[in-house]
Amino acid sequence: MNIFYILLKKEIKELVTRQLIFTIAATLLVFHVIGKSVGTHNKASAAHNTIVLLDLDRSALSARVAAAVRAGKTEVKPAGAGDIQAALAAPENISENSFMVIPAGLQAEVTAGRASRIEYYSRFRKDASGLGPAIAASRIRRTAQAATAEISSWLLERGMPSRTPAFLRDPAPAREFAVVDGHTAEISLSQVIGFIQSQSLFFPVAVFFIVILSAQMIMTAVASEKENKTLETLLSSPLDRRLLVTSKLAASCLIAAALSGAYMLGMRSFMAGVTSLGADPSVAVAAAGPALAQLGLTITSSGYLLIGLSVLFCILCALAVAFILGILSEDVKSIQTMMTPLMMPLMLAYLLPIFIDMSTAHAGIKFLLYAIPFTHAFMAPQNVMMGNISQVVWGIVYQAAVFAAGVALSARLFSGDALLTLRLKWPGTK
Amino acid sequence: MTIALEIKDLAKKYKDFEAVAGLSFDVREGEIFALVGPNGVGKSTTLKMIATLLTPTAGTAAVFGRDTVRDAHAVRELISYLPEEAGAYKNLTGRDYLDFMAMVFLKDKARAAAAVAEGERLSGLGARLEDKIKTYSKGMARKLLLARAVMIRPRLAILDEPTSGLDIVNGYEIRKTIKELAAGGMTFLISSHNMGEIEFLSDRIGVINKGRLLACDTAAALKAKFSTEDLEEVFIKLTQ
Repeated sequence: MNIFYILLKKEIKELVTRQLIFTIAATLLVFHVIGKSVGTHNKASAAHNTIVLLDLDRSALSARVAAAVRAGKTEVKPAGAGDIQAALAAPENISENSFMVIPAGLQAEVTAGRASRIEYYSRFRKDASGLGPAIAASRIRRTAQAATAEISSWLLERGMPSRTPAFLRDPAPAREFAVVDGHTAEISLSQVIGFIQSQSLFFPVAVFFIVILSAQMIMTAVASEKENKTLETLLSSPLDRRLLVTSKLAASCLIAAALSGAYMLGMRSFMAGVTSLGADPSVAVAAAGPALAQLGLTITSSGYLLIGLSVLFCILCALAVAFILGILSEDVKSIQTMMTPLMMPLMLAYLLPIFIDMSTAHAGIKFLLYAIPFTHAFMAPQNVMMGNISQVVWGIVYQAAVFAAGVALSARLFSGDALLTLRLKWPGTK
Repeated sequence: MTIALEIKDLAKKYKDFEAVAGLSFDVREGEIFALVGPNGVGKSTTLKMIATLLTPTAGTAAVFGRDTVRDAHAVRELISYLPEEAGAYKNLTGRDYLDFMAMVFLKDKARAAAAVAEGERLSGLGARLEDKIKTYSKGMARKLLLARAVMIRPRLAILDEPTSGLDIVNGYEIRKTIKELAAGGMTFLISSHNMGEIEFLSDRIGVINKGRLLACDTAAALKAKFSTEDLEEVFIKLTQ
């Protein structure tokens, strides 16, 4: 039997414990339950889309305003009171949060060319939490827009009866074009950005998960072997020490990939529940599909392969660094602290590109980010979509070089006294 | 008689600390040789250098003529090393552990199977070999580890404090196993600070203190030389 396979099997048996399986199953369940609960709750909140209307004008215009609000799928409930305070206090309105007051003389005032103010009241409950207040705010905004548009139409119909209000309101509609790498298509910039973001929403999170999980696993594996002195036994055997390094790297990589797949399933279930409220951005993206394809903003199978390779080498780089940190760890307890040298560049690579436009960033920042091998994986989907293939390929070459250097250093540490004698200590520790 | 282990002026220095300061001794084939001395005098460092885990800063160590630095891989084919207070893979069963180690050391399925059968016998753990190692007591784990160390029939078995922390029964069983194997021709280099154990087990003794060898002979010769019936007294006289 192949000795590498035997070592790999042992590593996997040591890493996959009942506690680990239980933790993953519990995480999946929690994600799923939260996602479902939030989705159900938000749908129920969105379904209760009512505004209480206190119409003090009782004119043809106020009736049109009420009809326009209804057309926006908001239920309009007449207030059974003479003023807003009474309407707010009325027992039948006690569960209502949104109120609209059309003032007396609205039609007369606007027809005469004078402004009239429609009032909106929102009841903010002390125990309000979650997305409820945001839904109420959105309802008020949509109602106000519908009312203003209807009053404008009323005035336009009377001022220029030969033209439709829709035409008068937008006589020269804008046509937006996006230009990507010489390709032009009729699509707004916000749609392009929305598409890129929707494609890469989960990606950095997934990579982040994989890197952290695999790094922790391999550090624990190395540190516990040191602590239990099982490593001394293996190192005194006639085994090729490079096999010890590669089998540990391979086992951690395999398990990390499986675990992150499970995490992503849970996360997907969670996000599906949370984002079930309101418009689904993917619908808009699907509608804009032909324009996006015209711009070349689609990922081909070779593009996915490149992204996969970039992620693979990102994980391998993290494993190589974690392996060295595991060698330098005093014991298993010190692993959390020993993760710091890995976490810092990982956080930088994850967060900085979110806030910084790399095309215009300072040369120093660019150098710093591109020197971190993880950055290339985080940016790979966007680069592939934007056609920066050479940047992705060079990124993979650089990651491979960092990984090779890490493995060489690990093997060197495994071959000498350093493994048993070297300890990395933070200032102030004994 | 064949020399199993030859140590010449062996030294190990960590910055300003000299853990081993020029040891010289040899071990004959089939012999049980014990390095004795209190904790922290360089016994484990010496064993680790012989087991190819540490590189000497001076001197040489040769196992059946093979240098532990220049010919480390060949030395690893001849030895088996049991570290002091070593653990095993807790999530493996005792049998899985023996299977794994047999393949690591022997790389041949048939030889490994024979070694595991021997390991099972030597461990004396019976049906408990099917249980995970994390359920074992300290004595059971140590017996499993000793079985692992000797089941592959190494030419030189290096055992660091083989009975450290064990109760009387488990300690006795391990000493008995070592005696049996030595009678069968296996060479042992052991370290201990338990003088009673050393006197019972070893053919010759090397008394070590502060990284230096103070005396090397049979227990009887050492006691005669220092006119005492007690090996502990020999040690006290040597170190004072």
